[in-house]
Amino acid sequence: MKRNTIIITVAMILTTGLLIASCVSTKVTDKSGNQLWSENCQRCHNTPPSSAFTNTQWEVINTHMRQRAMLTEDEYKKITEFMQAGD
Amino acid sequence: MKKKFLIQFAGLLLFSATAFSQQYNQENIDSLIQSKVQTQVARNSKFLISGYTNMTARFSKEQSSFSNIGFVPILLWKPHQNILVEAEVETGLKGSETSIELGYADVSFFLNKYLTVRTGKFISPFGIFQDRLHPSWINKLPTFPVGTGEDELGVGPTSEVGIDFRGGIPLGSSKMNYSVFLSNGAQLITDQGIPSKQGTLSYGNADAISKKLTAGGRLGLLPFSNSSLEIGVSFRSGNVGDKNSVYKNIGATMYALDLTYVKQLDFIKGMFDVKAQWNKVNVDKAEYIDPDDPTGNTLYTFENKRSSFFTQGAYRPSMSQSKFLKKTELVFRYAGFNPPDGAKDLTKIKQYTYGINYWVNWRTAVKLAYQNQKNDNAFLVQFAVGF
Repeated sequence: MKRNTIIITVAMILTTGLLIASCVSTKVTDKSGNQLWSENCQRCHNTPPSSAFTNTQWEVINTHMRQRAMLTEDEYKKITEFMQAGD
Repeated sequence: MKKKFLIQFAGLLLFSATAFSQQYNQENIDSLIQSKVQTQVARNSKFLISGYTNMTARFSKEQSSFSNIGFVPILLWKPHQNILVEAEVETGLKGSETSIELGYADVSFFLNKYLTVRTGKFISPFGIFQDRLHPSWINKLPTFPVGTGEDELGVGPTSEVGIDFRGGIPLGSSKMNYSVFLSNGAQLITDQGIPSKQGTLSYGNADAISKKLTAGGRLGLLPFSNSSLEIGVSFRSGNVGDKNSVYKNIGATMYALDLTYVKQLDFIKGMFDVKAQWNKVNVDKAEYIDPDDPTGNTLYTFENKRSSFFTQGAYRPSMSQSKFLKKTELVFRYAGFNPPDGAKDLTKIKQYTYGINYWVNWRTAVKLAYQNQKNDNAFLVQFAVGF
């Protein structure tokens, strides 16, 4: 019981701090491919480098991710173009 | 002499014209073949095999073994600009036998900017663990949190057979995503052969076992502009009893809440990753054959309400100067399972898992973990590779 209380307390303190640290504002539709790649991929897994796949493979992989991560068409296009540019 | 010259000149012209014509035709044919071949090659090259593989070693007081060997190819094919075909084939070893299961197989149609329709067998959009985190190269620990698997301790669906409408919608600097589905009902397990399974549900059935279809979905909100936080709520409701049995009117309602927070934070010089999920499944009260009575004439019942949860935190010093530290990750997960009161052979479970991972590259990890659970402590090592 004591261990659970400590875990919950620490989690609440951390969450509050993190929420404050996260308060910045940019319109989703104004984001670059680089920013969308970084924000969307890392929510579930490590961000892959552009060299991981060929341009055609990126198109297929990102179509898969558009469906799985529920990306909009705009996000899918920007991320794919960014990965294909190999920046 | 003049006549001879004219004949030679006419012959040369004729030869040049024929040669040009042949060359022109050849160029046309080459161009035609090239365009056909390129289209064909391009169409075929939009086929990709992705997936992951893993091997786990488990050491405990009772036994030590190499187990959980899995190879899971994911086939992706994009035959058209707005169509994706995907299938996940889960192969592994169960004892000395090779097991093959269909994780998912579906076709997605991208109807517009914000709507995708997928149909077939797909991972249930119920919470985040099964939908997003279960592949071994993504899961930060070698085990699943208790309550998220397909065993008798599973709370909530793992897969659906039906149709799903999903997408993301920007809301200014925030964003939301949704997934709403209609699927075949889950199947209520009533067999007394495995007492702990009585009253549990199996999902992803291709047969229409229950009277009506099941409806469900998940709604996610990403309130911050940097998409670092996502909060989700899931729901699923429908009949679960066999339509040809006394259980035909039994239904089940399920809920889940989930949270994701992932951000690289300057003040801790690294990546902080938090995931959490709470699941609740309520199945209507039903009478089951008492497995303790060998004659099979006694019935018993219980309040069939069960829940599970997990909270996981991970830290990776991604801003460190040390290459080794940059690739090292610390993970802690607290998970629990609350069985229905009166259910056979099920007890409350609390599970604490401590892990340290070394990321060889972005999709290859070596994971070491210690899992603390009553009467089931274990040390685990896992190699996981995504491809």
